Amino acid sequence: MNVILEARDVRYRYPGSQEAIKGISFHMRRGEKIALVGPNGAGKSTLLQMFNGMIRPISGTMLFDNEPIRYDTSSLRQLRKRVGYVLQNADRQIIAPTVYQDVAFGPANLGYDEQVVREAVATALHQVGLVGFERRPPHHLSGGEKKRVAIAGVLAMDPDVLVFDEPTSGLDPSGSEDLMELLDELNHDGKTIVISTHDVELAYPWAERAILLTDGQIIREDVPDVAFGNTKYVRMAHLSVPTLLELSTELGKRGFEIPERKPRSVLDMIHIIENHLHGACGHPSPGTIMVCNVDEDDTATLTAWVNTHPDLVAGAMGTRAKQCASKECIALEFTYGVIDKCILRALRGKDSLILTTSGMISRVAIRVDAYCKESGNTIAVIPLGITESSPVTDLTNEEV
Amino acid sequence: MRSMIETNLDNVAQQSAFRHIYPGTKLLLALGSLILCLISPSPVVPLISGIVLSLVLIVPGRISPILYGELLLGPAIFAMMSVIVLLFMLGGGDVIWRFNPVPWINLTITTGSLREGILVLCRVFGCSISMFFIALTTPMTDLFNGMKRIGIPIELIDLMMIIYRYIFIICAQAVEIWQAQVMRLGYSRPWEAVRSFSMLCGMLFISSWNAGEDLVRAMDCRCYNGVFPSLDLAEPIQMWSLVPVILYLAGLSGILLVMTTGVVIVP
Repeated sequence: MNVILEARDVRYRYPGSQEAIKGISFHMRRGEKIALVGPNGAGKSTLLQMFNGMIRPISGTMLFDNEPIRYDTSSLRQLRKRVGYVLQNADRQIIAPTVYQDVAFGPANLGYDEQVVREAVATALHQVGLVGFERRPPHHLSGGEKKRVAIAGVLAMDPDVLVFDEPTSGLDPSGSEDLMELLDELNHDGKTIVISTHDVELAYPWAERAILLTDGQIIREDVPDVAFGNTKYVRMAHLSVPTLLELSTELGKRGFEIPERKPRSVLDMIHIIENHLHGACGHPSPGTIMVCNVDEDDTATLTAWVNTHPDLVAGAMGTRAKQCASKECIALEFTYGVIDKCILRALRGKDSLILTTSGMISRVAIRVDAYCKESGNTIAVIPLGITESSPVTDLTNEEV
Repeated sequence: MRSMIETNLDNVAQQSAFRHIYPGTKLLLALGSLILCLISPSPVVPLISGIVLSLVLIVPGRISPILYGELLLGPAIFAMMSVIVLLFMLGGGDVIWRFNPVPWINLTITTGSLREGILVLCRVFGCSISMFFIALTTPMTDLFNGMKRIGIPIELIDLMMIIYRYIFIICAQAVEIWQAQVMRLGYSRPWEAVRSFSMLCGMLFISSWNAGEDLVRAMDCRCYNGVFPSLDLAEPIQMWSLVPVILYLAGLSGILLVMTTGVVIVP
């Protein structure tokens, strides 16, 4: 992966106060998911604002695409088109009186034709699952919906990098999960994503790389299990060790065999425990995971099929899949970490159904395959392929 | 204060059953009624217009009658106070009622002043309801589009749109500050209330200033270049709504003509 954003010994001081950023150097590769973690006042937001030229470092260099960032108006316009910034408070980011106007703001200012603007708005609203909200005024939206409008406003400019300042602040747990799922979806579409947060439980399983920041300096930069695994650095950053990591450390001290790659999910943890017990708590015949592509399959027929399988538990990955489930009144048991939860269910010998979209369907097979190789289990992933002409009437484990 | 924010006219307009009717049709109905009420020399036309528009708003428009009554209370009290003054100020005709509180003050109500008072009251009633019809059925965003079409300078409309957006944010902040003050007995005594209110204004000023700075930052982040996109997703003109409006206005004009000239045109 090539480097898209880089900071070389950048420093910044707000007028009349002490240094907020004290010589930070790091780089960000294309397609990465990075979490900038630190306590309040660590300089996270200040650093993020340097990514799209909102703040100019007093010394050091910021590079985008291996070119030093230039701070003239036209260069900044180009940079801001490619680096989208989502503010912490969505109310402060939404500036127009309707959702359509706000999302269209960026493309219109980039000088696109009206038709292109309309298409960009439609695509962005589709991505964040707000189709039909065009005429709604922002003050009629919930916190999660406002956040999605703010993200759509940035997505409409089709940036390469998305920068989120405290993306889950002010959201309820379900809203936070939905948002993190959306960030995964965007990353899967090829966007580089960087978030700032002080929520270690959120950053640990999500990020590919974590940067611990405190008092304007990076104190540790590594994969999350290493970055959060060192209690000295975690304490220095006024953070806490993620529960899963703490639990795996304790299990390791009690004789459990902990793999080199520390557990990042409940599934990983169950795998460690099962290994220790030599698979004693697993089911002799694992369940199956059925996958329905809501972009291609006939969802109306799917509803009828789901109704005939009351024991089947469904989960949805991606905004469109969740909307489809809501439209077809399919009760969702899982909305975040869906694949892992379905694998856990399969290990107990139960079947489950994942609703997903064309862009994300391959992730199911890849993740299940990786787990099966690592654990030696066999879990079947079956594409449902329901069409109006050939509805699936029943599907059992034996048929698989 | 919270309920004031929640039941603001724009929210009612957003939820109105007439929300999706072409705004021009609604403007035609409201402005047509308003003009006819104003030029009518008789209270009959404003009275009919007010009653018909109220029924339209409440029955098919599904506006809460209680909310509508509360809204009308404001102009009604204002109009009543003005009419009471007019009753004693205007003259003409026979004296109906005379009152001498002190020997040198002579208050009289005459048939002429009563006629004028009733006419003014009915006009205020008809005109207020015409204006409420627009406010309760057409959200501001639709009006912005209309303003753009009739050629109001785009800079002015952009400014109005930003102000409109920030009214709700600042109102919400005001409610939060006010609640925080009330919870700590900020308005329990008159002097305390004055102090709390001045603090509320000060805090609002600071937060508005910060919101303004964030606005500039948010616009810069999205490459602001002087363009504020408009929402051209207006409803098309629907004949099913336009025809009844034209027929209604024609009928009201006919009544006005009869009232003015006393001539009934027989086809």
